[in-house]
Amino acid sequence: MTAAPPHGHLHQEVPSDDPRVQLDEAAGVFEPVPPYPPRTEREAEFYTLGDGEMFINMGPQHPSTHGVLRIVLKLDGENVVDLDPVLGYLHRGVEKLCENSDYHHSIAYLDPLEYIASLFCEWPGVLAFEKLLDVQVPRRAEYIRVLATELNRILSHSMFIGWMALDLGGLTPILYGLIERDEIAEMLGALTGQRLLYNYLRIGGVNGDLNHEFMSRLGDWMSRATTQIEANTTLLNENEIFVRRMRGLGTMDKETAFRMAMTGPNLRASGVPLDFRRAHPYSVFPELEFDIPTREEGDCLARYLVRIDEIKQSLRIIDQVIHNMPDGPVIAKLPRLLRPRPGRAYAAVEGPRGQYAAYVISDGTDQPFRMRIHDPSFVHLQAVGVLMPGHLIADAMAVMASLDPIMGGVDK
Amino acid sequence: MALSRKSGPGLGVGPDDATQVSSDAPANEPSALTVNTTAVGQPIVVSNTLWQSADPNAYQGNLEPEVTHLREFEASGAGRRDDARWSGALEIIPTKADYVLDLIRANSLWPLLSGLACCAMEMMSSATSRNDMDRWGMFPFRASPRQADVLIVAGTLTTKMAGPLVRLWEQMPEPKWCVAMGDCTCSGGRYKRSYATVEGIDRVMPVDVYVPGCPPRPEGLIYGMMKLQQLVKDRRGHWPDRAIGPTVPADV
Amino acid sequence: MDAALKRRLEARFGDRLTAPVYQRHDETEIRIGPGDVPDVCRTLHDDADFRFILLADVAGVDTGTVMQVVYHLWGDTSSDWLRIVADGLSREDPRVPSVTFLWQGAEWMEREAYDMFGITFEGNRDLRRIYMPPDYQSFPLRKDFFLPDDAARSPGAGVRHMEQSHAPRNARPGETMRKVRA
Repeated sequence: MTAAPPHGHLHQEVPSDDPRVQLDEAAGVFEPVPPYPPRTEREAEFYTLGDGEMFINMGPQHPSTHGVLRIVLKLDGENVVDLDPVLGYLHRGVEKLCENSDYHHSIAYLDPLEYIASLFCEWPGVLAFEKLLDVQVPRRAEYIRVLATELNRILSHSMFIGWMALDLGGLTPILYGLIERDEIAEMLGALTGQRLLYNYLRIGGVNGDLNHEFMSRLGDWMSRATTQIEANTTLLNENEIFVRRMRGLGTMDKETAFRMAMTGPNLRASGVPLDFRRAHPYSVFPELEFDIPTREEGDCLARYLVRIDEIKQSLRIIDQVIHNMPDGPVIAKLPRLLRPRPGRAYAAVEGPRGQYAAYVISDGTDQPFRMRIHDPSFVHLQAVGVLMPGHLIADAMAVMASLDPIMGGVDK
Repeated sequence: MALSRKSGPGLGVGPDDATQVSSDAPANEPSALTVNTTAVGQPIVVSNTLWQSADPNAYQGNLEPEVTHLREFEASGAGRRDDARWSGALEIIPTKADYVLDLIRANSLWPLLSGLACCAMEMMSSATSRNDMDRWGMFPFRASPRQADVLIVAGTLTTKMAGPLVRLWEQMPEPKWCVAMGDCTCSGGRYKRSYATVEGIDRVMPVDVYVPGCPPRPEGLIYGMMKLQQLVKDRRGHWPDRAIGPTVPADV
Repeated sequence: MDAALKRRLEARFGDRLTAPVYQRHDETEIRIGPGDVPDVCRTLHDDADFRFILLADVAGVDTGTVMQVVYHLWGDTSSDWLRIVADGLSREDPRVPSVTFLWQGAEWMEREAYDMFGITFEGNRDLRRIYMPPDYQSFPLRKDFFLPDDAARSPGAGVRHMEQSHAPRNARPGETMRKVRA
């Protein structure tokens, strides 16, 4: 109790014989609040308490299911005055691991970034590799990619509906969301062999063709998908408590959205009809018909409704893809040892959370020189610092849930 | 001013009887409750002369500052005190009661919500409608470690999270068990070569059941939990006998 | 491949570009020095010809010889991704002005580049570590930071793992640093 703390510059300089003070030296990994001296301007501003304010630490383990996120809240009673998110509790060093593996192996590292939307994490990496290698992907492979990724999008949005309600306190919709998610996961498991981290996209195509079990499960599910999703969402859409809590909460206008580098449904809920499947087309999206749902209000309810509309559009896309599926190979023939020419490539796709992108630098060897992964959750989580202050804690949680972050992607 | 003691009929009569003075009068403050209002932050200290514990080691009487490292905890033998059995006069009850205790514990293992990464998705999936862990009593995922029995570590353990996770484990009261779910917690998994992960949680805490898979299917996790139930009933892997550290020899 | 964009960029920034505008597939790349980053980004953001209002990515790169910061922008006046490479940062003390005055969403991306490479973004109000613990000393994604290799310490060290395939046979981790001209 009286020993000097190991990291003297991090602990507050308080006399150690004061009985009210307990310095826990063994907990060096936990950054004490407030860190002293402040390291940056923003830290100095945040860690200065005003009159009647207090810090509450929403630690890395908490009942909200987004993952290991630690938020230090500065509260005035129940109002959030300011907040400081602390990340890194799930940082696994994926970019470094990709640099030390082959191109084929890197795809497996990209999966667990956003574990709900695994295929969208693999896709930009695979696209960037294909750009470096000048590989032409067969049309059937492109269609299968679109099919699998749109199913993944519906899975992700179903989980979002569940989590959104769970963070507001409703315990039933998460069960409905997980029913949907389980069905689609079994379907994709029949296709790819895995329920969650599919590792299905390959450079030049996909890993395996459609099989009978997948098609039968898909047919079963599609025949009742619309009514099922309608039933699940009506439970919430027509719930007065849900709607009144979310309406007008966390409003983000167009300028703020662009300033915070938002993409995806968060941007479309603020009135910007930007969808990279239309604005910067890749794969076979020019041939498919679908709309871009957009809402003007920019509040939590708009972000929620945009995602529901996107599920309906995804069902439309899946319908077209199934009916127009061409024949042919599902993967281009590539050598086992890949050495692309030296160069740089950037590829981006539109996923359920926004823009997933990869920037790959190749140096001519069989390992990528730099594999930069851009993840939308990481960028969107900054918006909590802008949107949360001024609300009560309960509303602050709703705001964070409506931005739909996945900590695996945030922390890479 | 102390309350004046008057015995006899004088109590309660007369103008200088202290009991007639209202309690918020300036002179009528009991001295034992006087608070120095100028120092708002001072704690109110009531000296502990009312009762003393018989155990000289109680209330940190003789102990060193508490060990928070699990190895020292093991070495000190504090964890080997079997405080989950009948105590006192009930010790004479034969061991069939222990069996009933273990049966009770096995059939209502309450997990802690400690999903870190992708395996948390499969843990949630195993707890909900399609694969229902509530059939075995494991429905309430407690948010507080003080109320939980089982720590299902689901997801990669990074070096930054290792501290909080060990804190959670230490906060859980005995009896407690630990399930390592997923490859990342068993051995490091696909992040074995990373600079920021802990290669297997058995480097920081004792593990009872390893559930491999990346991620394991919900049925796999349920199988692991049923193994844990069996383990609880057999009193195998009983917590004082657990070893910390990887069970793989150091030079492999 | 947007040739009109290339002409507009050369006309506007001709003197500041340190290399010709490079185009391949659907990407256009310009290279500037680190001091020009705020002006160029503001022009690209505000000017009616360009209107690159969406910041897609901020990445740090360690080429082995120099460091770079790579920005990717998107705008509706062009069908290409615009890549700005701020080239020529030294590996000992890489500094570049921050773009958080234009896009506040760049704050965390710059923090990540600082955490992984040590690149100091002047003007970022919150430049501290974001992924690694705050008292971590190294910068993990630098090329002279090598992964701990369990295999090297084990009795199976003689086996040539696939991870070592790019290095010479007798190289130990920590001896060869990769370099690229990018």
